[in-house]
Amino acid sequence: MKYWNETFETMPQDQLRELQLVRLKQTVERVYANVPFYRKKFQEMNVGPESIQSLDDIRRLPFTEKDDLRNNYPYGLLAEPLSQIARVHVSSGTTGKPVCDGYTHNDLSMWAECVARGLAGIGADAHSVIHDAYGYGLFTGGLGIHGGAERMGASIIPMSSGNTQRQIMLMQDFKATVLTCTPSYAEYLGETMRDEGVDTSALPLKAGVFGAEPWSENMRKNIEALLNIKAYDIYGMCEICGPGVAIECPEQDGLHFWEDFFYFEIIDPETGEVLPDGETGELVITTLAKEGMPLIRYRTRDLTCIIPEPCKCGRTHRRIARLKGRTDDMMVIRGVNVFPSQIEHALLETGYVEPQYQLVVTREGSRDQLEIKVELKEDFNLDSINALEELKAKIEHEVHSIIGIKSKITLVEPKSLERFEGKAKRVKDLRKI
Amino acid sequence: MIRQVSVFMQNQEGRLAKVLRTLADAKVNIRSLTIAEAEDFGLLRLILQDSDAGVAALKQAGIMANETQMLAVEVPDEPGGMASIVEVLGGADISISYAYSFLPKNTDNAIIILKVPDADYDKAIELFSGDERTNLLARDELLTR
Repeated sequence: MKYWNETFETMPQDQLRELQLVRLKQTVERVYANVPFYRKKFQEMNVGPESIQSLDDIRRLPFTEKDDLRNNYPYGLLAEPLSQIARVHVSSGTTGKPVCDGYTHNDLSMWAECVARGLAGIGADAHSVIHDAYGYGLFTGGLGIHGGAERMGASIIPMSSGNTQRQIMLMQDFKATVLTCTPSYAEYLGETMRDEGVDTSALPLKAGVFGAEPWSENMRKNIEALLNIKAYDIYGMCEICGPGVAIECPEQDGLHFWEDFFYFEIIDPETGEVLPDGETGELVITTLAKEGMPLIRYRTRDLTCIIPEPCKCGRTHRRIARLKGRTDDMMVIRGVNVFPSQIEHALLETGYVEPQYQLVVTREGSRDQLEIKVELKEDFNLDSINALEELKAKIEHEVHSIIGIKSKITLVEPKSLERFEGKAKRVKDLRKI
Repeated sequence: MIRQVSVFMQNQEGRLAKVLRTLADAKVNIRSLTIAEAEDFGLLRLILQDSDAGVAALKQAGIMANETQMLAVEVPDEPGGMASIVEVLGGADISISYAYSFLPKNTDNAIIILKVPDADYDKAIELFSGDERTNLLARDELLTR
């Protein structure tokens, strides 16, 4: 099966634009009527549903920021009453107020459609056995892929993350044909299988769909060689609907984003000005069919560009290039979003250290490692090694409880870390990915 | 009160040399030195001939240092000397956090530098003062030994 939904996937661009305009108007009307946050913002800017006469009019609408989601947590941005909300997801690794999303049944159905299109594109069908090793739970990865695979009628192994030995055993026993997980975990699985002498060329595994963290072409080649598969990139985030917002086709040359469901813009992150196709900037997404929590011009902070040229695969939906970085200081460590501010918060919680720190991210094998260098306070009592070890353990615990991943704490002398006059550069990402 | 200067050292090449060079340049003599090590850092414990000058010089050089109150106990340099120190404290259930020896120039006796928990400090002084086998040294006495 090449397409899941040929009518929509190959819809001519002019028809797609017409559909987008109709849906954009509906979405703007919906949020204006149902979400006080948007109504107030629109009124302040003197815009309303009648302002949208063409797709370009979207530029008159205000951006929505991640902080807007936090400030309206948990239900403030819902456009539907709670009775219509079928499920919520919460984004990984945020402190205090996380970012969440509420989905209606139709939203979950749209999401499953997005994922099913992607899975069909890479060759999956009802005969496929999909080993879903994304985490299940609040994170959108596991259940997102699950919904699409179920829609397609494939056999799903709802594995979730962790327990590598069991993963390898079940992949072999159940004859998985498609693997879905984070790219670093795919690499780790492949390395473990190689080290244990599993002959991957004898496995029925054909393809993998990997996302939730940045990965390079080199890593793709490595995963493809280790697992003897084709590896595809998938993009999405909790706020929009998890994985499946955009996904690669067999051409492996950019990710198709489903233009009947999403309106993509690329902006200059400094000025907010919309950039022409082909230019790299910040991806801004407007949802066109979401009911639970529609988002208007949501600033993703992800850097990419739109590839306008038609794709050889036949899909008419345009593509984005694989992600090129972030406009903020967010790091993705083992698939978890980590902001330095969260770590700063954890440090201050311990009370003993200066909020002077440096984050060093490395990759050992396929595992991301986070080291946090923390300056001691000048007056910290140096009498006992134990007190210092306890301080380290306390910081490690505090950081773990906030970002959910383990880190190595290194205590350093006061004033020994580099100081910055402007914006502090606290992150040293040494991963070669 | 005997003052020990504790210095925090990251486990990096040249850290110890920097501390020692700083003290040498300030003409502060080290009377006793011990290093406690952890996985990725160490603590340098020093008894300095002139603590004030030493601490000032270290801070000036950006080296983290602070002071701890210690006890110095002199005993005959013979079998059982150290045992008598431990027995004095053990009888009162006072634990020794750590201890090291001091290098005297002007006596054949042995001198042990002791750390007891701050809460037991006064009690320990009282115990040693009333003990005949051991001789508790005041700061001036220690530094002329």
